Amino acid sequence: MKFDLHIHSCLSPCANLEMSPSEIVRRAKEAGLGGIALTDHQSARNTPAVAECARRAGIACLCGLEVCTAEEVHTLALFDTVEQALAMTEWVYAAMPKRVNDPDTFGDQPVVTWDDDIVEMEWRILAMGCRKSIPEVSGKCHELGGMYLAAHIDRSAFSVYSQLGGIPEDGNFDAVELSRTADESEWLPKAGGYAVTRSSDAHNLDDVARVWTEADVSEFSVASLKAAFAARATRISPRLTRF
Amino acid sequence: MTVDEICAKVGGSVAVAVEGASAETVYVGDLLSDIMGHAGEDCALVTIQNHLNTIAVCTLVGCSVVVICHSRPVPPDMADGAKREDVAIVVTPMSQYEAALALSSLPPSGR
Repeated sequence: MKFDLHIHSCLSPCANLEMSPSEIVRRAKEAGLGGIALTDHQSARNTPAVAECARRAGIACLCGLEVCTAEEVHTLALFDTVEQALAMTEWVYAAMPKRVNDPDTFGDQPVVTWDDDIVEMEWRILAMGCRKSIPEVSGKCHELGGMYLAAHIDRSAFSVYSQLGGIPEDGNFDAVELSRTADESEWLPKAGGYAVTRSSDAHNLDDVARVWTEADVSEFSVASLKAAFAARATRISPRLTRF
Repeated sequence: MTVDEICAKVGGSVAVAVEGASAETVYVGDLLSDIMGHAGEDCALVTIQNHLNTIAVCTLVGCSVVVICHSRPVPPDMADGAKREDVAIVVTPMSQYEAALALSSLPPSGR
């Protein structure tokens, strides 16, 4: 099964507003993916819509969020259910600055329904980090039954390497992610012994499923993916040589 | 201090020019949350954060000059955002400490 574990919807202020749940699912299905994970910045509030679209389309879906930690490292917290992801969101929200988003500065943050109606505009600044450290976020994610990944470790901003100079020993990650252009020969040795994924980090529709991770799993769930990661039984797509 | 004066002091080049942009104080920081919480208005922000979000934080705190250290490249989306928000960007080969020393005639920023 091929899957893309890092996709943003319109809720992310930096994502294109075309990233509606229905379009994301349609594009993923067209591309032949067996599973996707929605990972908006600091929030899983659009996972109910994506989960419903995925159910209707017959594609598997994990519910997640991309947590920007106190170190300003981007990490992925992925869950089987909407309820777990929303519980994680509430915990992250409680550790975020109480400043109101200015859409002209950071971008719009619509919470939407599965059929593309806007419910409300999220008022927090989702582009900002929270006050919880990587070990704290990792602990909470696992306590809620999720899996925890270090995102785009090769990037020059918001990665474990850019912020901390390497992979922290107390991160307790389940896997680490390479970005779509990362050179495996350079970055696999820097993965700290963790299983490696490659995901699109799509912020617009054209990028969904441009790269992927693959595993022989019978179901697309946190437990089965964690088992595949632990067995190092995942494969990643070739990198893109240009955007 | 004008952008050209800042540029001369840090031995840098102007990546994004904004007419009339200037700084009265200096703040040094690489964590955006720290910058957002502590940098004051009209500061020159000395940082290695060559990212679009840096510009967004500048607009929140009222900073109109960013000094990017270690000659880090300014990505196109950051340059576009800076032009849109009237934030000048200077790129210097200096470290943050060297740049801060070079700008030491300006007082520290803070709130």
